[in-house]
Amino acid sequence: MKVELKIEPGLEEPRIVIHAGAETEDIRRLIQDLSGRSLGPISVWEGDRTMPVPQSDFLRFYTEGKGVTAQTVDGTYAVRLRLYELEEVLDATRFVRISNSEIINLDRVTAVDLSLAGTIRMTLDRTVPVYVSRRYVKKIKETLGLGRRKPS
Amino acid sequence: MKLPRSWRSRMLPGALLGALLAPAVVYFIGPLWVTVEENAVQAVGSLWAVDRIPLPVAPAMVEAFGSWPLALAVQSLLGGLFGAVCALATLPFADEGRELVLRSLAHFAVTALTFSLLLGVCRWVDRPVFILLWIFLLAVLYLLIWLGRWIGWYMEVVQLRSLLGLDPGPSPLKWRETLPYLPFLLLVFLLLPAALRFLDRAIIIDVPVLSQLIWPYLFLPVSGFLSGISLGKRQGVCPLYPLSCALLALPAGLLILREPNLLWCGLAALSSLAGNALGWLYRRAVPKNR
Repeated sequence: MKVELKIEPGLEEPRIVIHAGAETEDIRRLIQDLSGRSLGPISVWEGDRTMPVPQSDFLRFYTEGKGVTAQTVDGTYAVRLRLYELEEVLDATRFVRISNSEIINLDRVTAVDLSLAGTIRMTLDRTVPVYVSRRYVKKIKETLGLGRRKPS
Repeated sequence: MKLPRSWRSRMLPGALLGALLAPAVVYFIGPLWVTVEENAVQAVGSLWAVDRIPLPVAPAMVEAFGSWPLALAVQSLLGGLFGAVCALATLPFADEGRELVLRSLAHFAVTALTFSLLLGVCRWVDRPVFILLWIFLLAVLYLLIWLGRWIGWYMEVVQLRSLLGLDPGPSPLKWRETLPYLPFLLLVFLLLPAALRFLDRAIIIDVPVLSQLIWPYLFLPVSGFLSGISLGKRQGVCPLYPLSCALLALPAGLLILREPNLLWCGLAALSSLAGNALGWLYRRAVPKNR
């Protein structure tokens, strides 16, 4: 399969066009995989200023007080979306909910540990500890297993 | 106080089962125990038959309550209470972290209390010390269940690491990391005492200084401590190491004294635990350059 990348400045969300001789099962699976990926940036707020941040830059989204905060390597920002709304716009193969109050970027997980009391702790970018609710472990495994499985 | 529905749906069958099982245990198992030799009967602490005719209650309980139907009712009530509490055993595991520990401890306390009542009031044991023995066994059972659950969670974590493309991490309770130290332990705890005992017999006539003084009170704690430091520095806390040391001190006792020596087991466990903890602290304080 030939892959070609065209850079078009100003284009907010990537657009993918597949050129194929016929619609095969492999092509259909590829379309299904790609359509499930929301790759657009997420708007965050820093004071009165808003800015789009690419999804890959986020470490996590978590509820803090009444609002939702997004954390990147550079800092934390307010997000004017609820966690369940974020789940709909984020790339479902990369972001997963780990507790009632937190969504993390699986690409940024650098360690997973278990305490003697059964608490699962993930570390993001070697510095940010987050705690996984065991109720969400099955969902995380499904996301990892399905979303990242190499196409057969 | 109204109990949650999930509790009630578990407690009711548990209580029924406990109420039925308590007299059944006495009826079917009690007579088996009175036919074994006297020492074994003392060990379980009770005589459960009158003139070799099995009863669903202990004779001592019938004597204490005046009639066997009343004794049976009380026994079934206490059996039901114990069964209801046991039926809630898996609920604490729905939580995690601090709540899991606190709820498990609370459940153990209530289970131990109801079990003690069953053992004492129903005269299943005739001396309080046997209640303590059974509570100790109950605590061991709790620890085993906890360990089983923990290993299950650990395997999930290993799976997550693998799916994330991370290093799978240490084996459960670091058993694989502890294994390389086993030859050293075999050498210190089995070969060395055997050699020292041989020397004692060959050279020293009166007092077996080497095998009964130097080995248990110098070689054993020092080697346990130093090897514990080495393991702790390399692998961190390895809970199976002190346990292995204590277990290997048992055959050493048999080899030297012809009987197990619990003091030596304790020395081996404590010295290796202290060394392992010190090595772990060193590892934390002075991280290895990667």
